[in-house]
Order: sequence, then C-alpha cells, then structure tokens
Amino acid sequence: MHVVKKVKLYEQNKWYRFLLNRYIQKNRLNSLFLCISLCLNAQALEASEVIVSTSVIGQLKGFHELRAIFTLRTLYWPNGEKIKVFVLPDNNAVHKKFVKEKLGMFPHQLRRTWNRMTYTGTGQPPVTVDSIAEMLDKVQHTDNAIGYIDRRVEDESIHYFNAH
Amino acid sequence: MNRFITLMLTNIVIAFLLSFSVCAQEISPESAIAVPAQEENKLWEDVKKTWRDDIQFHGFLSQGLFSTSGNNVYGQSKDSVSADSTEMGLNVSYQALNNLSFAVQGLYRRAGANTGDAGEVTLDFGFVDLNLLNLQEGRIGVRGGRIKNPWGLYNETRDVAFTHPTILLPLAYFERSRTLFLALDGGQLYADYNTSMGDFSFKFNYGWLNADDKEVLTAIINDPTASGHFESDPSFVTQLSYEIMGGEYVFALSYADLKMGYQAKSTDDPYAQMGANFNTFMFSAQYNGERFSFVSEYSLKWNEITDIRLGVPDAFSVSERWYVQAGYRFLDNLQATLRYDSAIQNLKDRYGKGVEAKSGGLIPAHMAFAQDLVFGLRWDITPSWMVRAEYHRVHGAATISLLDNPDLSKIAKDWNIYALQIAFRF
Repeated sequence: MHVVKKVKLYEQNKWYRFLLNRYIQKNRLNSLFLCISLCLNAQALEASEVIVSTSVIGQLKGFHELRAIFTLRTLYWPNGEKIKVFVLPDNNAVHKKFVKEKLGMFPHQLRRTWNRMTYTGTGQPPVTVDSIAEMLDKVQHTDNAIGYIDRRVEDESIHYFNAH
Repeated sequence: MNRFITLMLTNIVIAFLLSFSVCAQEISPESAIAVPAQEENKLWEDVKKTWRDDIQFHGFLSQGLFSTSGNNVYGQSKDSVSADSTEMGLNVSYQALNNLSFAVQGLYRRAGANTGDAGEVTLDFGFVDLNLLNLQEGRIGVRGGRIKNPWGLYNETRDVAFTHPTILLPLAYFERSRTLFLALDGGQLYADYNTSMGDFSFKFNYGWLNADDKEVLTAIINDPTASGHFESDPSFVTQLSYEIMGGEYVFALSYADLKMGYQAKSTDDPYAQMGANFNTFMFSAQYNGERFSFVSEYSLKWNEITDIRLGVPDAFSVSERWYVQAGYRFLDNLQATLRYDSAIQNLKDRYGKGVEAKSGGLIPAHMAFAQDLVFGLRWDITPSWMVRAEYHRVHGAATISLLDNPDLSKIAKDWNIYALQIAFRF
C-alpha cells in the first residue's frame, strides 16, 4: 500500500520511477533466490545416514552407542577391532546435520572433546575427509570404518548402521 | 615493532607450510590413483595404510598482541603494544597395538620476560599409554612419562588457544603458577565409565612437578632477587568428571596436593630452609548449548609455607578463585563471551592491608587480589583458523608477572587490557 501511494504522488517523476523499477527488479531477483534456496533446503531436509564398512555390518545399533563412537568413548567394535571414524569438516552442512540428528549434539561439543584428546595425547581424533564422495570411498575401502552421508542411497555396496 | 613483524611473518609462513603439508597428505591418495604401475600403487597404499591408521600429527599456533595501561602483560605492553606472546605445538601419536600407544608433544613458547625474547622449547607431554581393560561400558588404563594435569576445565590444554573461550584464561588458572600445574613426570591411572545417564571419567596423576620456574618462585615470595629455585617432591593431581548428553553439561571436581622444597645456591640465602605445600580443589560446571553457554569454576587453595623470612605475612593462607562466564554464539563461528573473575590471595587478608603493613609498604596491598571483568569476541574463520579480541577491566594485580613488572612501587591498582590473537590448528 505504501509503495502504491508513493507511486501516485511521484508519478510524474521519471527518476523515481526508474528507482522503483530497479527496486521491483531487485526484489524479483531476491524472490528467485528464495525459491532456489528453498529447493536446495528441501533437498537438505533428507536425513543423514550413518554408513559402515562391510567388516562391521550390524555390530552396533543403538543411538547411545553411536554417540559413544563419535565422542571416542567406545574405541573398539564388539569383534575387538579398532573403530576407524571418518567425519566431514566442522563447518560442513552435512556434518552439522548429522551431529544434530544422529548424535543429538552440536559440532562445537564434539570438537571440544576431540581437541582435549588431541592436545593431551590421550586419543586420536577422527580422520577428516573433504567430501561425501571421499567419505563413501574411505568407509567402503577401510576395514572397521564408520562415517555418514547426506541421504540414503540404495546401493548394495553401501552398508547402513541403522541407528533407530 | 620490526621484531614483531618478522616474528608474525615467520609464524604465518610456518603455519601455511603446515597447512600445505596437511593438504598434501589429504590429496596424495588421489594422485596415487593416477600412477599406472599397479605395484607402485600397492606399495603406496601400504605406506598410506600404516601412515593413516597408526600415526597422527597435530599442532597449533597462536600469536597474541597485548596493549595495557598500568601494568605489563607478556612483555612491554604498558602504553605500548607487545607481541611477546607466541605458542606453537606439534604432537605425534602412535597407536602401536590395540592396547598400547605413544604420544609426544613439543611446545615452543614466548611469554614476556619469563621466557625471554628467544622463547623456550619444552617437552609438553610424552608418555606411553597401556590400556588394561576395554569394554563397551568403559575402560581402565595407565600412562607413564610426562602427563598433563587434569585441573579444572582448561588446564590440560591451556596453551592451545582453540580450546578455551578467551585469550587470557580465567584467574583460577593462575598464570604465575602455570609451570607448576602444567604436567608432571610420573604416572597416571585413568578410568572411563559410560552409562545411559552420562559418562564418568577419572584421572589420577602421581609424580614430580616442574617447580623450577622463576615465576612460581616470585609468586610465592614476592621477591625477584632470590637466587635459588624450587624442586618438586612427590605430588598428585586428580579429577573426576561427569558429562551428560555428550558434553552439553559438564561437571568436574579436581584436587591437587603439590609439594616442593627450596634449593639455595648460597648458604646465606634467606630462603634456604623454605618448603611449600599447596592443597587445592576446584569445582567446575559447564553448559554448552547450541547458542548459549555458561561456565563457572570455584577453587580454594591452602598454602602452607614453612620457614619463610620475608614478604608473606602468614606461613599459612587460603586463596580463593572463582568466575562466572556466559557465552553466546551469534553464528556457528562467531561467539561473544562475558566473564566476571575474582582472585583473592589470602581470605584472612582480603584487601592486602596485612601484607602491605608487614612488608613496610614494599608490597602494595593490591598485589593481594584481582577482579577482572572481561568481554571477548571470537571468530572461527575456518575450522583451522581463528581470530579473537578482548577487553579486560582489572581491579587489583595479584595475577601479574613480577618479571614483567619488576618495580613493585609502580604496580597499578586499576588498569585495562586490550588483546588480539590469531590462532591456527590442525
């Protein structure tokens, strides 16, 4: 309403009309961005999935156990093998989502625990990978490994942790 | 200033080199795929496997800038800018067997007059870790060598800028006795117990402290001219901590019994017969929410000093230190911190009147306490790089270094600290 009123008042003013057009155009662009980001978000809404390597399928299943693995309190699989943990960088959107959804934590809490172990020599932090592709590759080709990806993909070579 | 620029440049170059070497390590597996000869590939895979699985390298670096009014902090910061605060650490850990591992960390540190311009290199920790029992519910083990002391929330990693919220640690982590609390040479028994109600960790360190430090000595006797040094007697530091929801709530109780004796250089040394025994506990509580965080720690320290001639009014005193701190994350990587901090050297002489009278005015009363109001902003640019800035309004001077402030008569009661820090970790 405000804009319409102003348009009437300044109808004769070309300069203002030019600015108004710019404003509308810019807003159109903004709404376009909004649409795109909504679409992207819709994609991001898919739940992250925890994956494990073939050697440890079905060894652990619980939510509490999952948190113990990523906070490095559980270091070994029930078969006695050392757990190899892979993670994405702290500021990665998939990492943030995974930590919230699957561990019920925030990335800065995990980092606090990892830092304390790393810089007192009392534990080795998870190995950081740069992309989901690298994560898939590492978990599939490392024995006793665990990691996560952004969504469930039906593929025989990918094994899920099933923490539900 | 020139010296500062050279130092900063050196630090940044080193940090970049380190980050490149990390990148190189990350990238090399992919480039290995391009190697046509399969055998070479296999060899590399084997090398990579041992490398990646068993051995890890990590490090950190920080450079601080301090500008103060009234008193010096880490070098000549008073009405000037001091860059005499640098910390650099590199560690390697090796998981030799499923229950046997080794870890060692070297530390380079410059911290004002205490370390001098050249700084000093120390073995920060170096130990062998033997895991005796390992179950889903927890583990028990022992460590032998030089081990960090579990004291409060931050002592174990007090030199790693990333692990604590402000540039200057709370007063409870008394900077002047840093060396004493840092680590001990001996053994540690550790036990973890994980339950659905939360996780318990217990650590018990027993051994010999590093008591041979000029700052520790002057903190006790307020006399920078003493020529001898302290030597540690068997001491212990222990901590029980309880974490709920993966560290959303953390509670810890730490207790330390520190003993040492003075080693005189000459027979006419007035402190020749001096011994010191500190018993101290600290209670810590922390809440780490998504946006909001809250921390508080409270500590009492019983100081027993035997046969001392000058400077300290009582052979026995109780020190009290506590703080409350609130933090807010505006963004995942931008955090503001507000803290009120208090340190009292002797609860029976809260305002230092006694120590001033007994020393004939030599030791100013405000050397006996410190209250500090802190506001800080921290920006984690990437997971590896961080910058932060903070302002302190300080009332009292109990925590300042006498090596950086040798003239007791010039020590100011009310003063300010402005600080800036850049830090890197990998």
